[in-house]
Amino acid sequence: MGLRGVGFLLQCYLMLAAAMYFDLGEQEEKCIIEEIPEDMLVTGYFLLEPWDLEAFSHSPHFGVTVTVRDPNTEVQMSKRYGKFGKFTFTAHASGQHYLCFQTNSTRFAVFAAERLKLHLDVQMGEHSIDPKPDKTKNNMEVLENSLKHLKDQMMYITSQQEYQREKEEVFRQISEDTNSKVLWWAVVQTSVLLSVGFWQMKRLKEFFIAKKLV
Amino acid sequence: MCRKLRMMNVSGELCWLACLILTVDLTLGLGPYKDMEFTFLLSAGSTECFYQTTARNDSIEVEYQVIAGSGLDVGFVLVSPSGYRLASDFRKSDAIHMVDPTEDGDYRLCFDNSFSKLSEKLVFFEVIINRLSSSVHGGQNEWADVAKPESMVEEDIRVRLNSVHQHLEKSRQVLTVLRTREARDRYLLEDNLWRVSFWSCLNVCVMLTVAVTQIYTLRRLFDVTRRVCT
Repeated sequence: MGLRGVGFLLQCYLMLAAAMYFDLGEQEEKCIIEEIPEDMLVTGYFLLEPWDLEAFSHSPHFGVTVTVRDPNTEVQMSKRYGKFGKFTFTAHASGQHYLCFQTNSTRFAVFAAERLKLHLDVQMGEHSIDPKPDKTKNNMEVLENSLKHLKDQMMYITSQQEYQREKEEVFRQISEDTNSKVLWWAVVQTSVLLSVGFWQMKRLKEFFIAKKLV
Repeated sequence: MCRKLRMMNVSGELCWLACLILTVDLTLGLGPYKDMEFTFLLSAGSTECFYQTTARNDSIEVEYQVIAGSGLDVGFVLVSPSGYRLASDFRKSDAIHMVDPTEDGDYRLCFDNSFSKLSEKLVFFEVIINRLSSSVHGGQNEWADVAKPESMVEEDIRVRLNSVHQHLEKSRQVLTVLRTREARDRYLLEDNLWRVSFWSCLNVCVMLTVAVTQIYTLRRLFDVTRRVCT
């Protein structure tokens, strides 16, 4: 591994330490919902730490199980990682994807109600900012990398706009459905009222004539 | 990374230190904007808290919006690292809060759905951090610590690329807000469609039941009267 590996790990650790975190109990599952358009590569970095770094009671073999569900709530990916890792997946369908994180430990969680914190950073697109700075790269390569990142950002914005357009069409379709349903039910109710009125009058007239009251 | 220097034993540690410094610099100076956005499901009667680490003299902006759930409102609390309540919303549907300058530590954002016993809420929130502390040293020097720029043209290109990157980040944030608004409207409309169908159906059933009951009651009334009379 050497210095390069250590540098990469340290970089990711520091990047995640400034990221957002939330608390996760042991064996608890928490989910994040992300709207992802089709064919988008999603990269996620996470880091699991105990809540109180001082009150570190046991040497844990904690891990995180990452489950990704696609918009049809089918499991797209489910993998177990260690305390710290990176996961990637490509969205096959556009819509709401559920990223669920659950801690697993090799210990029996009988008396453990230990709180853990999970740092999370989710990035979309292929050329995210390069976490492995290479000293041997010259300036031209660094510029090329940043241009690729910019191009990727623009592609991301374009695909988000396409996705928005699709969702607007769905919205319009639902709106028209509601409109026609309201009209149809109003017509049905009026016709039911009228026919029931006529039927009632007819039955009552027959009834009274039969009873010789009219 | 440091293949040449590995030969010299003394400079090995110096190289590692330089790499570490570079790492720290790149992490914190990865552009003055960094934003995180999450959508999550807040179950009925529960509270969820999220934490964000900031440095001194940054600025943090929190925006949240309730996308689905009856009432479309949620309680929100923003607590600074020293324990002061900076913002407190009771049952609001969307809001923006900005803290400038920030303290060093972890800010806590809590979403509160304890007033609702039955309905769960889908909440979207976005945290944008402007790292002004790194731009004090001239924030454009993300890669400049490594090697001196060879010419002013390259420096110029780098500055312009940085500005394009920032503008694209801003437009991405605006697009995200628009997307969540549209999602909220769409859920509301789907709800409306279901409600229209359900209540119309119920209405027709009630009408038919009442009509049949009316005829039946009238007929029974006359039957009973006749029995009493005779």
